[in-house]
Amino acid sequence: MSAPQEPFDIAEMVFHHTGDAHQLDFAPFGTIQLPQWQPIHLGSLVIDLSPTRHVVFLMLAAVLAYTLLQIAANGIAKARREGRAPGGYAGMMEAFVVFVRNEIAIANIGKEMGPRYAPLIMAFFFFILMMNLLGLMPWGASPTGNLAVTAALAVMSFLVIEIGGMVKLGFKGYMGTIFPHIEGLHGPGAVVMTMAMAPIEILSKLVKPIALAIRLFGNMLAGHFVILSLFGIVFLFGSLGMWSYGIGAVTASVVLGVMFLELIVAFLQAYVFALLSAVFIGLMQHEH
Amino acid sequence: MMLPLLYATGEGGLPAPFSPTIGLFIWTFVVFLPFLWLLSKFVFPVIVKATADREAAIAKQLADADKTRADAAGYLAEQRELLAAARGEAQGIVAEARQAGDRERIAAIERTRTEQDELLARAKREIQGERERAISEIRREAVDLAIAAAGKVVGQRLDPAADRKLVEEYITTLRTGA
Repeated sequence: MSAPQEPFDIAEMVFHHTGDAHQLDFAPFGTIQLPQWQPIHLGSLVIDLSPTRHVVFLMLAAVLAYTLLQIAANGIAKARREGRAPGGYAGMMEAFVVFVRNEIAIANIGKEMGPRYAPLIMAFFFFILMMNLLGLMPWGASPTGNLAVTAALAVMSFLVIEIGGMVKLGFKGYMGTIFPHIEGLHGPGAVVMTMAMAPIEILSKLVKPIALAIRLFGNMLAGHFVILSLFGIVFLFGSLGMWSYGIGAVTASVVLGVMFLELIVAFLQAYVFALLSAVFIGLMQHEH
Repeated sequence: MMLPLLYATGEGGLPAPFSPTIGLFIWTFVVFLPFLWLLSKFVFPVIVKATADREAAIAKQLADADKTRADAAGYLAEQRELLAAARGEAQGIVAEARQAGDRERIAAIERTRTEQDELLARAKREIQGERERAISEIRREAVDLAIAAAGKVVGQRLDPAADRKLVEEYITTLRTGA
């Protein structure tokens, strides 16, 4: 008699695949253990900079995105030297870059300041896209399914929005975005209204990056949860004999469909993050 | 039921995705900022410049094409004007030639008619002159014959001049009376 088999835990499986870890999992071939460093203590704050799975995929995404864009840039430069338009892969990547630059960055920030912020918006787009796509690869992980990564990107976006606004509007102009002057109000009423609006304005500034971080994180994680949960059904009903094959086939078909959906979501969420960052930068640049 | 999941920890004691770590937060900056710098330095300028150059070249070609088209339209209008002018001139020449021909024909007819009339008048005048001369001749012959006859009858020589005058007056009265 064999020992009773432990019931399959979908939650454990889902968190195992979506959570961060100090190892790279290449099941069934094995795992690679990542080094663990001593955490840094800054007062009560403990900072562990040990590389994790998400750090590795973060770096991999950056290296892959840079390499692919550099190859495209080389192809474009070669085509330019030969006096022709780039074709194939270089042409496709050029279309992506030009779309993000013109239709997202410059269209929302403006012709004057748009080109200055375009590299940041383009870097956001390609970095996030690559991280999203890596989560769909076998043995892959999506760092954008981790709130720390999306929060860091949102903080960068927030800093660019606010510092860029301060540089453009000047200190007085920037303070006007926190303490707004209400048109038509004068005297003590205007002061009271301005002071009353200040918390709302500060809150609206903070909500933007929070929304950016939560939206990207939520969308990417939810997709992985759906896929992994559907996979979990296969294991849950694995003991049903012949029925399990039918359930497996149906589940695999649904998972395939969701994977296609996730592919679209990967592009869409990169686009949304880049677009909203550009819109927020543009709004601040044109604030009066 | 979901609450324990939200606080569950990942593998190796690491928190699940809902509880972010400061280390990964910092790593994101460490990875993204050099990525942004490298792209801004080596990749995007190449792509943007190539695109801008191509856009400029296309814009120039379009401008050239517009200019050429405008020139062609100008030349076409000019050619049309010249053609219309040439056609008008040709029509003028034809009309003038036709008028000249008509004038010449009318003049020729007129001249012919005049000459004809002149010839007719002259012929009439000549006929009239001839007839008058013939009549005068006949009359003189008749007078001479009458005088000669009268001389024979009278038997003496008469004054030819006075007789002639007398006979002629008589003949005139005869013609008038007739």
